[in-house]
Amino acid sequence: MKKIYIYLTSFSLILLSLTGCEDQLFLTPPQSVDQEIALNSDANVKRVLVGAYADLRDISVWGGRMLLYSEMLGANNEIRWEGTFNQPRELFNKSVFTNNTFITESWLVGYSAINICNNILEAINVVDEADRDRVRGEALFIRGAIYFELARFYGLPYSAGNTSSNLAVPIVLTPTREVSPEDQVARNTVEEVYQQVISDLSTAEELLPSINGFFARNYVAAAILSRVYLQMENFGEARDAADRAIALSTAQEKRLVSNYMSAFNTETDSPEDLFTIQVNTQDPGNNMHLFYSTPDFGGRDGDVTILNSHVNLYESGDERLEQFQIRAGDRRTDKWRDQFRNVKVVRLAEMYLTRAEANFREGTALGATPLEDINRIRERVSLTEKTSITLEEILMERKLELAHEGHNIHDVKRTRGSIIDNTDNSLIYSYDDARLVLPIPQRETDANPNLTQNPGYGG
Amino acid sequence: MKKSLLSIAILLLILTMESMAQSREVSGTVISAEDDFPLPGVNVRIKGTTRGTITDIDGSYTVSADASETLVYSYIGFLSQEVEVGDQENIDVILQTDAKTLGEVVVVGFGSVTRGDLTGNVASLKGAEIQNIPVPTFQEAIQGRMAGVFVESSSGKVGEGVKIRVRGTTSISGGNEPLYVIDGIPMNAGTGIGQSNPMADINFNDIESFEVLKDASAAAIYGARASNGVVLITTKTGAAGRTKFNVGIQRGVSSPTRRNEFLNSAQYVELMREAGYNNDLRTGIDPINNPGDYPDSDLEFVESRLDRHSGHTDWRDGSVDTDWQEQAFNPGAGVTNVNFSASGGDERTRFYFSSAYDKQDGIMIRNNFERISGRLNLDHKVSDRFNIGANFSLARTETTRLPEDNQFNNPIQLVALAPITPIRDQDGMLYDRPVATYYNNLIDSENAEWLTTSFRNISTIYGEYQFTDDLRFRSDFAVDILNQNDERFFGSRTITGQGTNGFGSSRWLRLFNYNTNNYFTYTKNFQEKHQVEAVAGMSFQRYDENFTQVDGQEFPLDALRTLASAAEITDGESTLTYNTFLSYFTRINYKYDDKYLFTFSARYDGSSRFGDNNKYGFFPAASVGWIASEEDFLKGKEGLSLLKLRASYGLTGNAEIGNFDHFGLYGPVSYGLLPGLNPTQIPNPNLTWETTAQLDIGVEFGLFSDRITGEIDYYHKDTRDLLLLVPVPGTTGFRSQRQNIGRMENYGVEVVLNSANYASQNFTWNSNFNFARNINRVRELSEDQTSIPPTSSRFLNGIFIGESIGVFYGPKYAGVDPSNGDALYYSNEELTETTNDYNEAERMVVGDPNPAFIAGINNTLTYKNFDMSFLFQGVFGNDIYEGGGGFYAANGDWFDNSTLRQFDRWQNPGDITDIPQARLGACNGCNASSRYISDGSYVRLKTLTFGYNIPSNVVERMRLNTVRIYFLAQNLLTFTNYLGWDPEVNADYLGSTTQNQNVFQGNDFYSAPQARTFSLGINVGF
Repeated sequence: MKKIYIYLTSFSLILLSLTGCEDQLFLTPPQSVDQEIALNSDANVKRVLVGAYADLRDISVWGGRMLLYSEMLGANNEIRWEGTFNQPRELFNKSVFTNNTFITESWLVGYSAINICNNILEAINVVDEADRDRVRGEALFIRGAIYFELARFYGLPYSAGNTSSNLAVPIVLTPTREVSPEDQVARNTVEEVYQQVISDLSTAEELLPSINGFFARNYVAAAILSRVYLQMENFGEARDAADRAIALSTAQEKRLVSNYMSAFNTETDSPEDLFTIQVNTQDPGNNMHLFYSTPDFGGRDGDVTILNSHVNLYESGDERLEQFQIRAGDRRTDKWRDQFRNVKVVRLAEMYLTRAEANFREGTALGATPLEDINRIRERVSLTEKTSITLEEILMERKLELAHEGHNIHDVKRTRGSIIDNTDNSLIYSYDDARLVLPIPQRETDANPNLTQNPGYGG
Repeated sequence: MKKSLLSIAILLLILTMESMAQSREVSGTVISAEDDFPLPGVNVRIKGTTRGTITDIDGSYTVSADASETLVYSYIGFLSQEVEVGDQENIDVILQTDAKTLGEVVVVGFGSVTRGDLTGNVASLKGAEIQNIPVPTFQEAIQGRMAGVFVESSSGKVGEGVKIRVRGTTSISGGNEPLYVIDGIPMNAGTGIGQSNPMADINFNDIESFEVLKDASAAAIYGARASNGVVLITTKTGAAGRTKFNVGIQRGVSSPTRRNEFLNSAQYVELMREAGYNNDLRTGIDPINNPGDYPDSDLEFVESRLDRHSGHTDWRDGSVDTDWQEQAFNPGAGVTNVNFSASGGDERTRFYFSSAYDKQDGIMIRNNFERISGRLNLDHKVSDRFNIGANFSLARTETTRLPEDNQFNNPIQLVALAPITPIRDQDGMLYDRPVATYYNNLIDSENAEWLTTSFRNISTIYGEYQFTDDLRFRSDFAVDILNQNDERFFGSRTITGQGTNGFGSSRWLRLFNYNTNNYFTYTKNFQEKHQVEAVAGMSFQRYDENFTQVDGQEFPLDALRTLASAAEITDGESTLTYNTFLSYFTRINYKYDDKYLFTFSARYDGSSRFGDNNKYGFFPAASVGWIASEEDFLKGKEGLSLLKLRASYGLTGNAEIGNFDHFGLYGPVSYGLLPGLNPTQIPNPNLTWETTAQLDIGVEFGLFSDRITGEIDYYHKDTRDLLLLVPVPGTTGFRSQRQNIGRMENYGVEVVLNSANYASQNFTWNSNFNFARNINRVRELSEDQTSIPPTSSRFLNGIFIGESIGVFYGPKYAGVDPSNGDALYYSNEELTETTNDYNEAERMVVGDPNPAFIAGINNTLTYKNFDMSFLFQGVFGNDIYEGGGGFYAANGDWFDNSTLRQFDRWQNPGDITDIPQARLGACNGCNASSRYISDGSYVRLKTLTFGYNIPSNVVERMRLNTVRIYFLAQNLLTFTNYLGWDPEVNADYLGSTTQNQNVFQGNDFYSAPQARTFSLGINVGF
């Protein structure tokens, strides 16, 4: 009898402990929330919008690498990559492998940002009416800006023509809440992606205010839009957009700073900065600094050297020469010298140069004459004022003013220039050479058989 | 220390010269009752002393004993017998087989069985066999000793990861390490800060036995976590009787197993100038013969760099020839071990107590390990029916750590520096960039500190109640607590802290893991012939992990190193994660007539890690065994002492994935110091276990009275519903989704042979041999997916259907074009065409990091009071890829120093070599290809021991029980064709995700070689 009692006690004890344990099988993560919660209120959608900027500032997007790609592809024997990282070296050598982790990341993070924007746009009605236009404008701005970057890196340039048949990247405008076979999307044409970019950025420009902290503002949208039109050689629209960016931003006290080098390495955004990626010790990612700077300023070993052929392009007395300093045993540019500084994405100087070029090509003088705009740039760096100007001079001024800031290859492509190989000087890459186009990352073509590889990459 | 050990040894030797005590010689023969054959190797001991001998090959023995003494004859598998000497001079003994215990007791999940009754495949190893081996973790000590258990240390850094694979790799995206269960609790075996190995917290001198459950029958009782095998660790318990003390001291010196040869200054200068000059000639200028060509030539550039890298010296006069590799090694490397234990007790209470101090000064600079540990195991009999007990252990481990292999401050990366660079400048300061080609990480030795401290408590309490003679209930509760702190400081001169006046980081990890097992055991014999044992119960486990990290910079002085001095706190976080397992299990063993064995086991497992639609999994297994040698037609057959056939089949699972992989999630991010949310994961509510179906067929045999015993097994593991991280199109905004899809196979054979080669009065020789061949094949991935190609452009590992996991895939190097020195690659799969354009090269499988087979052979010899053992361990048929080759084996592609082999570069048309022409920065053959693959097979004299037991009469006079002095050499000899440092290698930084850990195998990237250690030690028992 006693035994039975003991048996019963132990059995019931076990059963008792089990019912308690059963609940323990249903645990929720402490560092994340369910996707439904993230999009169910005004406050939460605004948090998700910050999340979209966080992707935009990723080192593989505007946190530096997209700028670096442009400089590596456009090296033209003016700079030398000396770093140990093989990913930038592949771009420098115009021999990019489809599994290059940098270009894979740029694709993935770019589309992650696009997906976030699509989620915000779908949930836009839970945003308070007062802020709805701004939130929508910011989401459209980020989406448009990223599609533009993706199109010009992963597709043949607009200037190569055949824009209705050359492929850019797939356009996805709906949020992903689960994975299905419909997600195996094909690439859209260069024309389709550019039109989507124009639509997103134009709407964004209309919706955005001109004061919005360091987030997107109407003149930032106009500035990027001017780049889009310039890339399309639509100079009239490019001129108008640049002029709007100048008018809207100078109304907000934006101006050229008096000393060229004080436009760089600034603690906070300078009056010249139309848009920057916010970098600080908490969010330290600035890959332009990492690769261009030197150990004494927290960079790598000085992975990029500036060669004589580049320095020789400057006129003597050009204050822009001050950027070139011997650091870590070789010549570097100081534009990215200091650590934890914002990544400068659009400087006002670019808008003057764009307006000058577009006015010149169109034979107009919207906002200012080309000569006035160019002299504005030259005056600042203590160069003599020009009395007349040619297109070549405008383009050279642009090249030198914006050197090492991520504009290089895009300007070469749209002006139908060419690039000299780094080791074999007889080898010339024309502006529409397939080797100046990034491959579709291999993990993408593997995961999605509907993606066509770019020419020259075994596709 | 070494000197004092030596003098003890000499003193003890002198003592042994003294004559033996007065007693008479007794001799005789021991015969097996089973087959009437003489039994060699029987232990003949004089009761109550440590004196004795063992029988020789003819079963005969001679021993000196007094008339009043009693001889005890014991042998595994036989009942012990005692005979009083009296006036006998010849004592012949017939030993009866122990029907119950055909062999040793083997610990299995929730119980133990005798080896003869086992129907599954279990490898066991006694802790005594690896005692005193001078390595930090038992994982390294068991290497080569158990069939089918592959052990690989990632490098010679102490206290870091050790990879163990039991019967191959079963998972692509999930974990592949076995489940470790110590005294009943599944322990934390992998989670620690950085690369630290939580197994290093265990003092393995406390371990009684290791059992590795390999087949489904043995492992299924651990259900959802048993696919990768289960390692059961049982710590020592005390035995009733006089309290026995044991003190051990060991001291040794270590050095790297292998070095790599690099160019000296003159060779370096020659190669670099040649590399620049070759470029010039190719672009049509000749700066040597036409001085006008010199300005802006590559030769000028090279010479300006040589000037820069020479610092205050001149490379032209050859005065500096720095051996940077040597700078990476610690000249004071060595081991120190001191341990003490006491065990004993009475009929009611038994105890085992130990404490130990272990220190390993690693072979790399800045890398030391120190462990202080203590243990108390208690068992108490409350009444005839009720037992209680507790095991309590505490350890503190301190490790000065090194960064991962790819960091500039990994000491081995010093080899990249030029031999023309002096170590220090004229003021005695270490040279750094730009004089040094790369960061001179010796600065870290002066200006940085990195210490990880762990406190580990693994403790168990249990109670066991015997309801009736047949039925008992056991309940235990155990905790495994890890408290780890990682403090880093990098001063203002280091690469890490240079731009920011120093960088500091403080990280804390607290891991609380508790488990309870509650189960009934029922044993019953029916009608003599039927024996049943049944186990049934439940267990619950919960695992909580808290982590906190703070980073800061801007320190006022390099002497102020805690974060309290950091002017700027740059990063801080705390995270929490957890998981639970709730399980029900059973096992039924049935034996009929001591011949026919049957086992059924099963586990029903639930875990928080799986989707709401699939919380539970069921893992059954069954096995049968037939002891054929007990059948009348074989019984007593000459020479055959055991023949057992067994077969098992069953299911086990793998749950080694993230804790929350089935949810659809948004996680926190920040931008511009504002909070944000980002989507992080797509939901999969159907996520469930990865299941392995395993078939095992084995035969066990014993020949010539068990002089030769062995086991041969064939197994086949078929793993389905892989917990695969399936890549999804990036255009969705996501990268991958955890799905149950795909299939992988492992099959192979294992052979174990144990042989008593020779046994005589004074001399014995035993050998244990194990061999395992495992074939791993990826069979299916997700729909339409045929491969997961290499994700890195530096390394070649990928996954391809029909191949082993992680094969090397890439261009096949075709050597050098004798006419122009170009590196060539095959441009077609038939290997008939070559190209000098890397992009045109055909990609193909060019190597396999998985070994074709592994083997070990251990020999133990004794001669009188001397003993010697040596273990050879080998890994065969695997390839290793040298990821650093593109830097140090790239025929002078850049200013990194090159290995000596690079000096055989092509120079003139017609040269036949496989090292291409030196061309600065032109990457002539420097890309990832089979050029950097070499055969990683090796055979190692893993452990060599010479011991001497001081004769007992001498020892007794000193009031001691036993005194053994020994010399031990670990990793003494390594035979390999591998071109890099040491063939036991796997670059530690590539496993950032579990899938990467599984795929990136067999890579060397400036990874530290293993340590070779010579030590002297003494063990005293009293």
